[in-house]
Amino acid sequence: MFDPGRPLSGVRVADLTMIWAGPYAAKILADQGAEVIKIESPQAWDNIRTLLPPPVAPGEHWWNTNFYLHEYSRNKKSLTLDLSADEGRAVFAQLLPHCDVVIENYRTDVMDNLGLTYEWLREQREDIIVVGMAGFGKTGPEKDAVGYGPIIEMMSGMTSTTGYGDDGVPYKSGISYGDPIAGVCAAAAVATALVHRHRTGRGQYIDLAQREVMSTLLGEFYMDWSMNRRLPQHMGTGHDWMAPHNVYPCAGDDDWIAICVRSDAEWDGLKRAMGSPEWAERTEFSDQILRWEHRAELDELVGGWTAARSKTDAFAALHTERVPSSPVWKMLEVLREPHLRARGFYEPLRHPEVGIWAAHGWLWRADGAGPCIIAPAPDFGQHNAEILGDLLGMSESEQSALESAGVIASRPAGVPLASEMPATPSMLG
Amino acid sequence: MSDLTSDQSQPDHDPTQPYEGVRVIELAEGIAGPYAGRWLAALGADVIKVERTTGDPSRAFGPWPGDLPDDETSGLFLYLNGDKRSITLNLDTSDGREILHELARSAEIVIESFEPGYLAERGLGYDVLSADNPPLVMISITPFGQTGPNANLPATELTLYAASGQLWLTGHPERPPLKNGGAQPSYQAGLNALAAIAAAYFGAVTHEQGSYIDLSVQETYAGMAEAFHTRASQLGIETQRSGNNLNALWGLYQTADGFGGICALPRNYPGFARAVGLPELQDARFAEPAQRLLHNDELMAILHGWFIDQSQEGLLELGIEHRVPFGFVASMEDLSSSEHLHDRQFFAERDDALAGRLTYPGRLWLSSGHDWQMGRAPRLGEHNLAVIHGELGYEREDLVRLRELDAI
Repeated sequence: MFDPGRPLSGVRVADLTMIWAGPYAAKILADQGAEVIKIESPQAWDNIRTLLPPPVAPGEHWWNTNFYLHEYSRNKKSLTLDLSADEGRAVFAQLLPHCDVVIENYRTDVMDNLGLTYEWLREQREDIIVVGMAGFGKTGPEKDAVGYGPIIEMMSGMTSTTGYGDDGVPYKSGISYGDPIAGVCAAAAVATALVHRHRTGRGQYIDLAQREVMSTLLGEFYMDWSMNRRLPQHMGTGHDWMAPHNVYPCAGDDDWIAICVRSDAEWDGLKRAMGSPEWAERTEFSDQILRWEHRAELDELVGGWTAARSKTDAFAALHTERVPSSPVWKMLEVLREPHLRARGFYEPLRHPEVGIWAAHGWLWRADGAGPCIIAPAPDFGQHNAEILGDLLGMSESEQSALESAGVIASRPAGVPLASEMPATPSMLG
Repeated sequence: MSDLTSDQSQPDHDPTQPYEGVRVIELAEGIAGPYAGRWLAALGADVIKVERTTGDPSRAFGPWPGDLPDDETSGLFLYLNGDKRSITLNLDTSDGREILHELARSAEIVIESFEPGYLAERGLGYDVLSADNPPLVMISITPFGQTGPNANLPATELTLYAASGQLWLTGHPERPPLKNGGAQPSYQAGLNALAAIAAAYFGAVTHEQGSYIDLSVQETYAGMAEAFHTRASQLGIETQRSGNNLNALWGLYQTADGFGGICALPRNYPGFARAVGLPELQDARFAEPAQRLLHNDELMAILHGWFIDQSQEGLLELGIEHRVPFGFVASMEDLSSSEHLHDRQFFAERDDALAGRLTYPGRLWLSSGHDWQMGRAPRLGEHNLAVIHGELGYEREDLVRLRELDAI
């Protein structure tokens, strides 16, 4: 029975990724129905497990619990395997014939250093699809440069386009924007390669440079450089022809609402939403061009209306008049935002050492799909026995020998239990 | 890894493009849908762009060569619509609707971005289009999705940025929230749409059953809110925007010639301290991650003093030498002349009869198995004759009648 929400069911992915970009890609593949086996070494696990020490990460086995890990690794299985050891690579070689895809976001040279070259991977499974997601790609003079999301954003041109406009300072995104962009693209690359393999019988190697993917989201700026040798202006939250077009302060602590007017009809709607104030009838606001020319004064006046009410009250009035607008939702608010809630965007995640909390579900929703989240992020090594025993046919004594040799484990090497640790501040406490 | 840009003799290279012979009907306008369609076309699909008779509104957005507005030379349109064919259809006429229905019978994929309900009201919803074409994959890309109280609320890039929670997170903590440059909500939605289409199409070819996908720009963008929303739900903690520095080791600094950056996780610190070379970075107060956070202001002051003497390119070289995540705020000018990007053949170059010589991002990834096409964008209605007469079998006289009826 075909589940339209899980078009990748039947596909198995060996997921060697860490931190964010790669795990985000593999998460999408898992959500779409692929069986994703997250492979971590007992000596070098996904750093995200231990980036946030207790008490931020709850529970005694705190490397299994933090919100960061669960955001990117729900719906996956966990296998521990030390790929730098001969025994670990031998197990990996046994696993690969069962896999369709290998995905990694290591530094450019790491896979080759581990002996996991494309050639070697193809020897284990000839039509394997391999995705490398190094920040700057696998070739070229800058291939050994390394970077997390904000570096990718800077090096793509994105950061140069963002700023308030009055101080010449470029701004990075509030998130590590380079990561999820590369992750979504890698998911598209895998699905495309699966289509290609279905048609031709051939696998392929995909060299996906995170920086390049981000650059494709800046088409008009590259074109302006190409056509006119012009660099982007920092626009703040303004616009080059719309007015009003800004964020306006509301009653409350650091509360804002975004309002944009694209036409005379929307201007009329805004006037009605504001209770038809007299000032709005002034000649200098009578058409789109005049409003843009007088936008500073207009922003003051619209801001006077918003400042006297809550952002939800202002939005209710604007919504009735179909004016493009939205409260600037904070993180605690977006979880309860009525529209997302009505659509069931956030779904419950459950873990025995944490309890229940919410995470986003479907990034896109196929008609007829059930809930997106089936399982939380797997505990470290949770599926060792299932994969090594049931899938690869390894006996219990063979598995014990691997554990004794430190090739597999149920706990990251040298990481203490929460009760053995002092409380420490963390990057995102 | 061998060089995939020049080696077409890879053992796994195949002349068949991934989407060769796959017909895509692109009813989407603006950025998101056309971005997805652009890459499907570059990967071999026959993308028929169905434009309203006045053209995709993106034709009316610049930039234009020499700042001279022209529907056929919009940089945004040319970038987003390469390798497609263009026909015009007025879906408010019965002939226009009939032609679209016929086209959809021959299609594997439909991409649309009308206001929710628009196609269904015209008898062109997924149930109708897939009735005699069950493997059809259809995706609707709209600001807020097909359902819910905001489904029919008009939106802009800024309001979507706010609605997704992203706007709250960006900008200086003592200034208003700040929007990224350009049209990021739409672009990232287009990238999500590409992934959604590719996965659904794989499901369709392996199960001979299509699907209908509802993609909300707000949701795809909210899904990217790093872990800040789940941090809020798991710990009950609000996230404040942190400007350019989450902490001393994660953010931007002014350099001698612009702006540079560092993103060092705890495990990167030893290499970072070696690369910078200042003895005080070895102090006990900076030895452990927790101590560095307690002495964050001191560390930041030291780094301000160091970065201001560095050059942008020098930082990148230092990062490569020491394997430390350094970078700089690159401009379109820097990138357009980047030896690295040219070495990887990232840019496509094309002479356009009307717009002149153009250079633009030309692909998403490198593959040992397939190539990317980099053809030109179509003129408005350029393929009306080839598609409506040549493929659907309408007579030339029909085309004249359709034109007179304002159907094409």
